[in-house]
Amino acid sequence: MGKQEDFVLRALEERDVRFVRLWFTDVLGFLKSVAVAPAELENAFDEGIGFDGSAIEGFARVTEADMLARPDPSTFQILPWRGDGPATARMFCDITMPDGSASYADPRFVLKRTLQSAAEEGFTFYTHPEVEFYLFKDHPEPGMPPVPVDKSGYFDHTATSAGSDFRREAITMLEAMGISVEFSHHEGGPGQQEIDLRYADALSTADNIMTFRTVVREVALSQGVYASFMPKPFTEFPGSGMHTHVSLFEGDRNAFFEGGAEYQLSKTARHFIAGILHHAAEITCVTNQWVNSYKRLIGGGEAPSYICWGHNNRSAMVRVPMYKPNKGQSTRIELRTIDAACNPYLAFAVVLAAGMKGLKEAYELPREAEDDVWSLSDRERKALGLEQLPKSLHDAIAIAERSELLAETLGEHVYDFFLRNKRQEWEEYRGVVSAFERDRMLPVL
Amino acid sequence: MSPRVGHLLSAGNLARLGFQDTEATAAGLARLGPPAEPVLAILGRTADPDLALAALLRLHEAAEDRDQLLRVLEDDEGTAMRLLSVLGMSQALGDHLVRHPEHWRELTDPTLGSTRPAAYALRDALLGAVEGRAYDDAVDALRVEYRRLLLRLAARDLAHHVGIDDVAAELSDLAAGVLEAALAVAREKVGEAAATCRLAVIAMGKCGGHELNYVSDVDVIYVAEPVDGAVDGADEAVALRAATQLASTLMQVCSADTAEGTIWPVDANLRPEGSQGPLVRTLASHRGYYERWATTWEFQALLKARPVAGDAELGQAYVEAIAPLVWTAAEREGFVENVQAMRRRVLDNIPAHEAKRQLKLGSGGLRDVEFAVQLLQLVHGRTDPSVRPPTTLSALARLTAGGYVGREDGRSLHDAYAFLRTFEHRIQLYQLRRTHVVPEDEAALRRLGRSLGYLKFPVEELEKTWRFHRREARRLHEKLFYRPLLAAVARIPGEDARLSPEAAQERLAALGYVDPVAALRHLEALTGGVTRTAAIQKTLLPAMLEWFADAPDPDAGLFGFRRISDTLGRTPWYLTLLRDEGETAQRLAQVLATSRYATDLLEREPEGVKILGEELRPLSREAIQAEMLATSSRRDDPEAAVRSVRAVRRRELLRISAADLCVPFGVAEVGYALTDLTDATLEAALAVAVTSVSRARGIELPTRIAIVGMGRYGGYEMGYGSDADVMFVHDPLPGVDPEVAASMAKAVVEELRRLLALPATDPPLEVDADLRPEGKQGPLVRSLESFAKYYAKWSEVWEAQALLRAEPVAGDEELKERFRALIDPLRFPSRGLGEDDLVEIRRIKARVDEERMPRGADPATHFKLGRGGLADVEWTVQVLQLAHAARVPGLRTTKTLDALNAAVGDGLIEAADAEALATAWLLASRARNATVLVRGRSADQLPTDPRDRAAVARVLGYGPGETTTMVNDYQRTTRLAHAVVERLFWGA
Repeated sequence: MGKQEDFVLRALEERDVRFVRLWFTDVLGFLKSVAVAPAELENAFDEGIGFDGSAIEGFARVTEADMLARPDPSTFQILPWRGDGPATARMFCDITMPDGSASYADPRFVLKRTLQSAAEEGFTFYTHPEVEFYLFKDHPEPGMPPVPVDKSGYFDHTATSAGSDFRREAITMLEAMGISVEFSHHEGGPGQQEIDLRYADALSTADNIMTFRTVVREVALSQGVYASFMPKPFTEFPGSGMHTHVSLFEGDRNAFFEGGAEYQLSKTARHFIAGILHHAAEITCVTNQWVNSYKRLIGGGEAPSYICWGHNNRSAMVRVPMYKPNKGQSTRIELRTIDAACNPYLAFAVVLAAGMKGLKEAYELPREAEDDVWSLSDRERKALGLEQLPKSLHDAIAIAERSELLAETLGEHVYDFFLRNKRQEWEEYRGVVSAFERDRMLPVL
Repeated sequence: MSPRVGHLLSAGNLARLGFQDTEATAAGLARLGPPAEPVLAILGRTADPDLALAALLRLHEAAEDRDQLLRVLEDDEGTAMRLLSVLGMSQALGDHLVRHPEHWRELTDPTLGSTRPAAYALRDALLGAVEGRAYDDAVDALRVEYRRLLLRLAARDLAHHVGIDDVAAELSDLAAGVLEAALAVAREKVGEAAATCRLAVIAMGKCGGHELNYVSDVDVIYVAEPVDGAVDGADEAVALRAATQLASTLMQVCSADTAEGTIWPVDANLRPEGSQGPLVRTLASHRGYYERWATTWEFQALLKARPVAGDAELGQAYVEAIAPLVWTAAEREGFVENVQAMRRRVLDNIPAHEAKRQLKLGSGGLRDVEFAVQLLQLVHGRTDPSVRPPTTLSALARLTAGGYVGREDGRSLHDAYAFLRTFEHRIQLYQLRRTHVVPEDEAALRRLGRSLGYLKFPVEELEKTWRFHRREARRLHEKLFYRPLLAAVARIPGEDARLSPEAAQERLAALGYVDPVAALRHLEALTGGVTRTAAIQKTLLPAMLEWFADAPDPDAGLFGFRRISDTLGRTPWYLTLLRDEGETAQRLAQVLATSRYATDLLEREPEGVKILGEELRPLSREAIQAEMLATSSRRDDPEAAVRSVRAVRRRELLRISAADLCVPFGVAEVGYALTDLTDATLEAALAVAVTSVSRARGIELPTRIAIVGMGRYGGYEMGYGSDADVMFVHDPLPGVDPEVAASMAKAVVEELRRLLALPATDPPLEVDADLRPEGKQGPLVRSLESFAKYYAKWSEVWEAQALLRAEPVAGDEELKERFRALIDPLRFPSRGLGEDDLVEIRRIKARVDEERMPRGADPATHFKLGRGGLADVEWTVQVLQLAHAARVPGLRTTKTLDALNAAVGDGLIEAADAEALATAWLLASRARNATVLVRGRSADQLPTDPRDRAAVARVLGYGPGETTTMVNDYQRTTRLAHAVVERLFWGA
């Protein structure tokens, strides 16, 4: 056993922890949890905790269901929301098979593999997500439109706003769990919030996002409201995205920075962006994985629909933020497609893989989009060679099915399960008669 | 110069003495004058005469008392020997002497040859050197004094052949003295605060074990307490702060690089929590840590903990507090896994290009010996305090005395370790650098060889001795871990002490045996008694146990070995073969611990072990067939005749599967071999059936018969579990009643099938004729004429497709040719493949994919019907064959890969697409064969049982823990093929 395991075991004693929740994530990005008593933990470190993989979405077939969850001691945290009594802690797990080989169904392993191949090229991958979500007054009821907690708008501050109380408490809790918050404010829609996490390596960030979603839901419950990361809950208000700033480091040097180059962007950064753009359509079904995700993408505003990049252009899919003098280390690019309901492990993995591919193949960066892409006419966009992102989950699946990049990155198991699941989601969605149809057609047909 | 000296200086004589540069030597010696003659004789015995002479000349230059130096060299042979040995071995010590020429007088001390300096004397000398000096001055003085003492030690080592254990112990004493002196310097520097604490320096690692190298990090741990009388926490904090300052200053004193160089780095990373933890802890804090948090390797490190400097009482208290914890470490949870992981790490951690020249790392390296000895100490020291000494060689001696290691093995390991350590010392002495890599240049090797006493052929002798000891050490695990297991269950002559059964079980479990109790029972049965058999088993088993442990299923390996040995035990050749032919035994171990299929074959016919000793290569069809025909013709009873044919088949199946497991050859070649074997079997069985029926009816066979292979059999692509798909054809002799001929032919075929299906102990050969015209409704055997009529009238496209794989395999040669001539126009249609036919084929394939896939089967890993599996690839190729074979001769083959290559050659398919198809087809075929080999039964998909799946991965060449990588690779390969099939076959 290593030092970190020791640290965990000691902390359990010192903090009087009665339960440890072992967390992992299914293929679609839902958090799973097994609770163990501290006494079992030493064993869990040595041998893992057995569970039935076929009960987890996308993990295993019934016949090969025995799997082991192996806690990663570096992710140990006391959970702050369980009151004063005996504490509960959590750790993220890696999933393995009984013979010790890593499970290809584990999204965390997908990201770890991808990070590893970048590490072999000498790079570490950092991400910084801006997570948006809505707060509603009540738990959603089928068929009823949700009611936001307030009617404020972007950056509004009102002393009694439920949202600002909420953000204060959520941030306190996140900080208590060692997750640093950069920034938070009220977003454009009524009841819509944004909280930005500080940048960290992609694996930690993905773990943090999983924690973040749980914390936000917990705090909402404790305040009698309901939080949702659904990409586009209202037709008329902005959707909830997860704009993500990404950068590569070589050792402790930001590999995206090159003093004196245009926008201080290094060759590495340019190829990386080119990779993301080149493979943008293929990876969309992972970064935007729900039927509903595409309603956000075609809605305009802060969400991009065209495959392009621009310097400080908020309508572009990849935005290169304004360079601040002497901040070479913080050079980064912002990817604006990802939404808050993605599986962060898979989403980061495919973004990194696409960028690394661009780097490896030295893709040329296409010309910059200088205008507000939304304001252009179709013809103009065509003239500029701007291609549209997939317009629906159906389109995204069709493109993903032909993507070797996606298959290689996700691994065969996840690739196969994911696409099967998404096809099924699309089929189910397609068959439903919607309110739109009834409202439009019943009166006249 | 006298004429005699002149003669001595001849180039020939100098070269004989070992000089390389004879001209420079002659000139140099001339500068020495008369002492040259005695000096020359001694130089000839040094490691590097050129180096020694050059250094001597520099020293002569530097020394103020140079005349005195020459006089002593001339008169005092002992001193000359000591000085020149050092100068001829160590460039670094030569440089030191030039810088401090007065030190040469140290070597005139005649007691050097006989007396090891006491540890306290070394410490006093070092303390004396720093006493009363200011910090910088003291740091330099410590270096000079250290080198002076090191010089004396090196002279003893090189000129007086002190044992390696003494040299290493003396180096450790010297290091302890340096630590003490450095602590004194640190106390001066820290000043008053130092008085608030007691600090003890505990040596760990080699220094703690009293077995230090010339140049090595010195590992330490610090314990501190407030001085007596202090009680409250504030005092403790103050004391710890002071102690930390002392400790870090101490390290600085030793490692700083000054004008006088450096001594060695002090490494405190073995302390609790490593580099993250506080540098200094109190006794209670140490104890608390080890009671609760420490891991196996940390306890292993503590085996060597020894107080060497600072507060002796506190140091002793530390050791007394920690020792009981160390000796219960083996009872801790996860100990066994840790041990295994550590063992693997030792073996894995070393880059291949360095492996050959490494003394320390790798299999049989110094670290390997040390780790292995320490592990045995941890396992057995708990109950037996006698095996606890911290020094590797002493511990080995005690383990041997206690029966935990065999006597002979103990001795040869001792010799090997002592040699490797001495060798390492000599390598380090040259430049006083920390290195464990054997140099490759000739000059360095010559110097090292001569220093070890090989004056004649230094390089060759050195390499030879090194090779010998390395070989001894390589079989270390067998000796240390496995051989004593036998002593636990059997009396080994000459061993008075033995391992207890409990200790043996512990060990077996640590080595990966899931059921150690059963394993021990097998060992007992195998080695029981005092027979010659048992004696041979005792020499054989240690290696077998290790080979089993390296294979996927050690328990099955040992159990299988026992059953085979039970059957064959007294057969004279059996154990001798295994004992004398190491490769045979290793193959047997690998087969038994990997493959149930081959194990079954062996158990049914243990004589098959002989095959493992031969060159593992399938026999030709002709050779097998000749043997089968000969053996069956010697038997009148048809059942006995076919049994003898089937026995040959069983033996050849073993040969093929063992070859496949031990000396992997291509899956296509496995297919050829199995097909050849089936051909020969059918040919021989057909002959028996014809004789049997003719005899029963009292007439000669009035017709010719041939057997046509179909499917994978016809394509030379059989796997271990494959049925033989066939059709039977006959052709009445001229003038014979067709009815009679047909009835006889039918009788022969039925007799053939009956004989091959008789219950027996060999794997059955299912002869499946369902692919014949009209399937099960059609006659079992048709005349050639009837085939012609049928095909003329009814031929459907799927039948043409099936005929692509038809290959006449046995029976009448002429009939075989005529059958081929009959079907060629059907399967290679000159009109190609029409649109309707293509649609029909696709429709059938769609139905087959749907209906034939068993319920619950995983389409991703089903070999035949899975996505991108065998059927996908074969159908794609067959469509190309039907369409183009009339035009492209290369397509007229029953072999999938040959047809695919021909299609590429003709531009019918892109090379990349063909590559994707071939890769998937080969992988699916290999995986299917591997699965049958592992499970012993035919199989349609990758096994779901984790242990079987892991074993299949191993057979396919993946390492332990890479099972899921294998599955992922399989799925990727077949997915890529499937994409090609989608395009080429389905036209999507």
